[in-house]
Amino acid sequence: MNALMAVLLILTAISGLGVVFSRQAIYSALSLVLTVGLLAVVFLVLNAQFLFVVQLIVYAGAVVVLFIFIIALLDPAAEERPRLTDPRLLLGVLAIAGICTAVYIAASDGITYDTACTTQSASCMHAYAVGGAADWTDFTERPAADPYNTFGFPENAVNRAGNVQTVANQLFHTYVLPFEITSLLLLVAAIGAVYLTRRTHTGVRRLPPAGEMVMDGPGEDD
Amino acid sequence: MLSQAMFPWILLTAAYLFSLGALGVLIRRNPLVVFMSIELMLNAVNLALVGYSSFLSSEEGQVFAFMVIVVAAAEVVVGLGLLTRVFSIGRELDVDDLDELKR
Repeated sequence: MNALMAVLLILTAISGLGVVFSRQAIYSALSLVLTVGLLAVVFLVLNAQFLFVVQLIVYAGAVVVLFIFIIALLDPAAEERPRLTDPRLLLGVLAIAGICTAVYIAASDGITYDTACTTQSASCMHAYAVGGAADWTDFTERPAADPYNTFGFPENAVNRAGNVQTVANQLFHTYVLPFEITSLLLLVAAIGAVYLTRRTHTGVRRLPPAGEMVMDGPGEDD
Repeated sequence: MLSQAMFPWILLTAAYLFSLGALGVLIRRNPLVVFMSIELMLNAVNLALVGYSSFLSSEEGQVFAFMVIVVAAAEVVVGLGLLTRVFSIGRELDVDDLDELKR
């Protein structure tokens, strides 16, 4: 599982390069499909089965298809690839390297958690309650050799509760108000998209070129 | 089974994807690719959230990642609507050219 995760992370990193550095927008979109699909598998390995499905449906199924539709519709021209000696690109690559180094160092050394659950702390008990463990004895049933070998939930706890059930439990109890607000967000986004792409009676309005642009209200026809 | 030593690498990949997306937003001129880079950044945040969720044995990170996916979908709908609008009024698709708000 470790090797699988390493391969997935490396492939994700490479396909992410394709999104940013492809000359044609359609290749960026296809690299985005690959990145999103690989991240979905990463979610699966991380025991987030619900998000695996949501990621595939929403991103690969809706967002990227929308991107490809718009690319086919607008047919944007290919861009020049930035030269490798461009100082701005070098600065960006240096910034990426610095951020990655800082995060890796912080994640390896700087953060300490009670992951071994050596004490019966509240967070450890909470984790096992969410995972479906009945009481503390379930918690101590783990094999002694590699006590945290499952990276999160012990397998039996996951299988007992189920990822969708536990996520739904959080989503519809603790976070029910934010969940309802997302429905409002989607409604506003849909109305905004309809408003932006609507046609006026006289057909498509033509705005003057950027230099002599006059700011009109959105409802007026030229 | 996934060992705990993988966790810093997951965070590292998330940081890498996020900064790569930020670089794409800064250096690309096609607004479609800029949107895709923003999607990459949102996905990187999702990866960090799910990694922490799995690492800390808590479902809350997955709930937040779900919210991020919803926001990303809404953002793409509005952004691509804007782009088709910009294109239909006869403007070229270039983020350096679309600077009316600076005037």
